Amino acid sequence: MAKSGIKKRSVGDIISDWLIGIFLGLLVFTTIYPFWHILMYSISDSRASMTGGFFLLPRKPTLLAYQMLFKTKQIFIAYRNTTMKTFFGTLLSVFLSALTAYPLSLKRFRGRNFISMGIFFTMLFNGGIIPTYILLKDLRMLDTFWVYIIPGAMSAYNMFILRNYFQSIPSSLEESALLDGANAFQILFRIILPLSMPALAAIAMFYGIGNWNSYMDGVLYVNEQRLQLLQVYLRQLIGAAGAKGALGDAGDLGPASRLTEETMKMTVIAVSIIPVLIVYPFLQKYYTKGVMVGSIKG
Amino acid sequence: MQTVRKENTLGRPAAWLKEFLQYMRKEYMLYLMILPGVLYIVIFKYLPMYGITIAFRDYKVSSSLFNAPWVGFDNFVNLFSRSAFIRALTNNIFISIYKLIFGFPFPIILSLLINEVRNSKVKKFVQTSVILPDFVSWIVIYGLMYAIFSPSSGAIKGLAEMLGHKGKIPNVLTQKETFKSVIVISHIWKSAGMGTIVYLAAISGIDQDLYEAAAIDGAGRWQQMWHVTLASLRSTIIVLLFFRVGQMMYAGFDQIFAISNDLVMSTADIIDTYVYRLGLEQRKFSIATAAGLFQSAIGMALVLITNYIARKVDPDSAIM
Repeated sequence: MAKSGIKKRSVGDIISDWLIGIFLGLLVFTTIYPFWHILMYSISDSRASMTGGFFLLPRKPTLLAYQMLFKTKQIFIAYRNTTMKTFFGTLLSVFLSALTAYPLSLKRFRGRNFISMGIFFTMLFNGGIIPTYILLKDLRMLDTFWVYIIPGAMSAYNMFILRNYFQSIPSSLEESALLDGANAFQILFRIILPLSMPALAAIAMFYGIGNWNSYMDGVLYVNEQRLQLLQVYLRQLIGAAGAKGALGDAGDLGPASRLTEETMKMTVIAVSIIPVLIVYPFLQKYYTKGVMVGSIKG
Repeated sequence: MQTVRKENTLGRPAAWLKEFLQYMRKEYMLYLMILPGVLYIVIFKYLPMYGITIAFRDYKVSSSLFNAPWVGFDNFVNLFSRSAFIRALTNNIFISIYKLIFGFPFPIILSLLINEVRNSKVKKFVQTSVILPDFVSWIVIYGLMYAIFSPSSGAIKGLAEMLGHKGKIPNVLTQKETFKSVIVISHIWKSAGMGTIVYLAAISGIDQDLYEAAAIDGAGRWQQMWHVTLASLRSTIIVLLFFRVGQMMYAGFDQIFAISNDLVMSTADIIDTYVYRLGLEQRKFSIATAAGLFQSAIGMALVLITNYIARKVDPDSAIM
């Protein structure tokens, strides 16, 4: 398309450029503005922001809402739980996926077709919400931290992405290591994994984002406050129960009376998206790559 | 004769087993390595499949999976006599169809338009920003929608004033009539970026000579877009379309659970949310499992059918 730039552009071309530009501009605005709005609202003075409208800049900037929010214990508990879930869950998931993917990537491994089909079938059919719930209840995993990282430890999709990537590594490398007397674990950890960094980064990111954002496990399997996830806490605050009610554990609501419910809601949302917005510029590159790796047929 | 045959039928599996055991002894490390993954799949994926049998049992909270009495198809009969289930099924189908009709073409159109942007920095910026909503949860997206659409303090007020609207602004998040649109549009908004990645990658693989040839033949910009770019995307589009049709029974549990409320339940309730309420809130485990089984069975049939058709249409696009 760039080559046609030398030619004189027709009026029609210029009009289409404008139309495309306006459409994409509006789209980008609707994507970015809501995030900006939340951030600006959360640092605005409650009384000034009560009337609503657009927030291109904060109105009478104040950090009062953040101070109030950080007085509650629950936000720290929820933050800690989600961080731990993301860290340990992702670590376990990547590890388990790699251990499963490597034997399945080897032609000489007997039973690979049987096991692959068995795993593939779980992508087509599943037991459903209730049988899974009953199983976790029978395993006594409800209301424990384990329920956050173990039942979802491996995604068949991510495992197959990794297996496909392993298969693309020349087998000569592995064969020469075998001749040197290396065992399967040594080959996986010293040769295969270091060569698979792009695929590992992609699936680690998929698992990581999934863990940070997941809330169904927190809703379905956990009742205890001390195990509450950030997303579940967020849902409780912005949902029907209302922010002030849920913030009641701060005890003294004195200065809070100068805050509206709206400001508190925006602040909680802001606190949960700020980490995502910080890592986003670094991760989106891998995200694009990961989707590409995944779209290669298995 | 007979003794020989007997020896053969017994002898062959034994030899096979012996050889396999020998192989396993040699490669025990590989089996050790895959053991955790296999155990995980068996326990957390296949045991719940066995648990599906409670759809055919009268399961009480106190009973175990094994001793609950069998009741045949009673739970299914009960399920289909419930108007709330029929409503959830209908909603499920309509929401899926709307998402398909309006949501499926959107990333295609968007990638075609992004591809028309000449400035590579602008292109990159647009691409990067449309992926952003995919990085946050539906709970956060509900929060964003609340911030924008709240009639008392949302940004919508500013927009209404700009457009000269006076008086009350309807709350689209609690209004039955518009809620299906909210579901569909927010779905499109969140998933647009993910879709464009795949299409833009396919576009970047198109041979540039095709455009020059088309230009020589007198094709204008929009004609090139139609006859070259879109035509080259054909097989990608077919693969993704079949994939989406196969997912029709899953109308978006995460999304609807996060953004719906009691006021819009009649229009937003889908099978998953219904199963959740019936099973985990009302503790009717057996009937809820029957609903879940109905969903997964139809869902699997859809995947198999679409895959079969995909293979007929274009052998490369089948997933199996």
